[in-house]
Amino acid sequence: MTALCCQPQPANNLIMIKALYQIEEKVLALNKKHRVAVAWAHDPNTIGAINKAVKNKLIEAVLIGKSSEIINICKAEHIDHNQFTIVNSENDSSASLEAVRMTKSGETDIVMKGLVGSDKFLKAVMDKETGLMVPNAVLSYVGALEIPAYHKLLFITDPAVIPYPDLDQKVAMIGYAIEMARKFGVEKPKVALISASEKMSRHFSNSVDYSIICKMADRGQIKNCIIDGPLDLFLACDKKSISIKGVKTPVNGDADVLLFPSLESCNPFYKGLMLFAGGELAGLIRGTEKPVILMSRSESEKSKYFCIALSCLMA
Amino acid sequence: MVLKNLNDLKQIVEGRSRKKLVLAAAQDQHSLGAVVKAWKENIIEPILIGDKEGIQNICALNNYDITGLRIIHEPDTEMAVEMAVRMVSSKQADILMKGMVGSSILLKCVLNKEWGLRTGHLLSHFALFEVETYHKVIAVTDVAMNISPNLKDKIAILNNSVDCLNKLGYKMPKVAVLGAVEMVNENMEATLHAALLSKMNQRDQIRNCIIDGPLAFDNAVSLESAQHKGIRSEVAGDTDLLLMPDIEVGNVLYKSLVFFAKAKVASIILGALVPIVLTSRSDSEQAKFDSIMLSAAACK
Repeated sequence: MTALCCQPQPANNLIMIKALYQIEEKVLALNKKHRVAVAWAHDPNTIGAINKAVKNKLIEAVLIGKSSEIINICKAEHIDHNQFTIVNSENDSSASLEAVRMTKSGETDIVMKGLVGSDKFLKAVMDKETGLMVPNAVLSYVGALEIPAYHKLLFITDPAVIPYPDLDQKVAMIGYAIEMARKFGVEKPKVALISASEKMSRHFSNSVDYSIICKMADRGQIKNCIIDGPLDLFLACDKKSISIKGVKTPVNGDADVLLFPSLESCNPFYKGLMLFAGGELAGLIRGTEKPVILMSRSESEKSKYFCIALSCLMA
Repeated sequence: MVLKNLNDLKQIVEGRSRKKLVLAAAQDQHSLGAVVKAWKENIIEPILIGDKEGIQNICALNNYDITGLRIIHEPDTEMAVEMAVRMVSSKQADILMKGMVGSSILLKCVLNKEWGLRTGHLLSHFALFEVETYHKVIAVTDVAMNISPNLKDKIAILNNSVDCLNKLGYKMPKVAVLGAVEMVNENMEATLHAALLSKMNQRDQIRNCIIDGPLAFDNAVSLESAQHKGIRSEVAGDTDLLLMPDIEVGNVLYKSLVFFAKAKVASIILGALVPIVLTSRSDSEQAKFDSIMLSAAACK
């Protein structure tokens, strides 16, 4: 055997991504252009973000919707519509089905939601025969959150899909978050399982699940991470709290991943940080065969652009 | 300190003032034999309550010299037990021992709300085994008292046992929470309880011990087997205390250790005001003697 075998293998051989704008650099370095199908591309924010991604040579784009309307939006925004493939579609449901069909068949690599409601869009994604679900996989959402007050990116789950994850869903969510963090170059992410306190109480079902999850990681049933919980947010992300409280935790106030107990706790967390603390989020649906970009219709062009770059990284 | 064999219990007791042991319904040959022996070896100061004539006959028949031993005559079994329990709750005795009486009658008295030995803790059974094939004694709980303990019960059982081991000189006993496998399996409640108890220990919610589990029996007592499976654990292979998932597993393990591995065993009931020697009427004199030593060592 050669000495090479003993070298630690990085998660991937590029530098670590420490801010959302760096995702683009990493994708460009991978030197593979992805094709994005946009379902019902009828809003300026989406087309603007797609335009930027095409211009920056991240993607090729297929815009699905009423051709005339898409062309009108492009003209109004001073965007050259000839750089996109435009596929005519009569309504938002049929546009969603077409975007999913194209991606499933391999004509495109990534699906993006345009000006269609999440329910109609997800119905197309989740269709058992024509959709993009990995069989029996948990459908969830992982976001990469950039906060000026924190020294690195935080991967959070799940602010969008599963209201009250059970134990199996939590395990799957952790797996997705670890996978994403590793793509960003964090080889062994520190995962904090968030609660209101670090104590285990049989009256708090999440603290029960978290304790079980920790033991699963102890026994190698969850890999490639350092994990602890229940932890409150301070113990997860603030070293000072660790020494004050005297809690021994391997996450040590330096979390990369935060698993939240519910959608209703995770969602206000990231929105609060975006509103009041200059936070920025890029996120993706997980559990699908191909990346699916699902964002609120009201998200900014910048956020949508980060999501497109992220989907290319995860493709 | 770690006990290599049951005889090491004697060292704990030596040098302490002798504890008063009250034997309830004392007219029982094995119990008397063990009590007299422990008295002669300065381990305890016995008080016998029961049918005086019966006691004297048994002692004469077996050449037990009881000259100078305090005997209280009470021929009625239930009255004898009540009197013994009252002696303990009024601090006239330090240890309660069951003689020729059913466990249920004795426990009913122990749990009496007015003059019993309640502390608010769950009563649990604690057994110490000396097995030739293990490098030290191993404690096992609960093999005889709690049938199907839930998580709350297991915490109480652990606290009782850890407290007892601390008194025996173990500063941080290593506790293995037993399962059929070392992996967490949602369909096996014992493995889930084990994970929760481990976490509570990490968070100082269960103190003065190191808990790991689930561990399968082989992982708990054999380092080689744990290493073979790649288990990283402070406890594996060096367990001081095994927590059983339920009474069926515990009782079968207890009996297989005794019958197949020729283990020596000492056992007491914990969680009451004082240690209770509640060996089965069919237990050997040796087992009763060792249990008396354990009860004396486990006194405050």
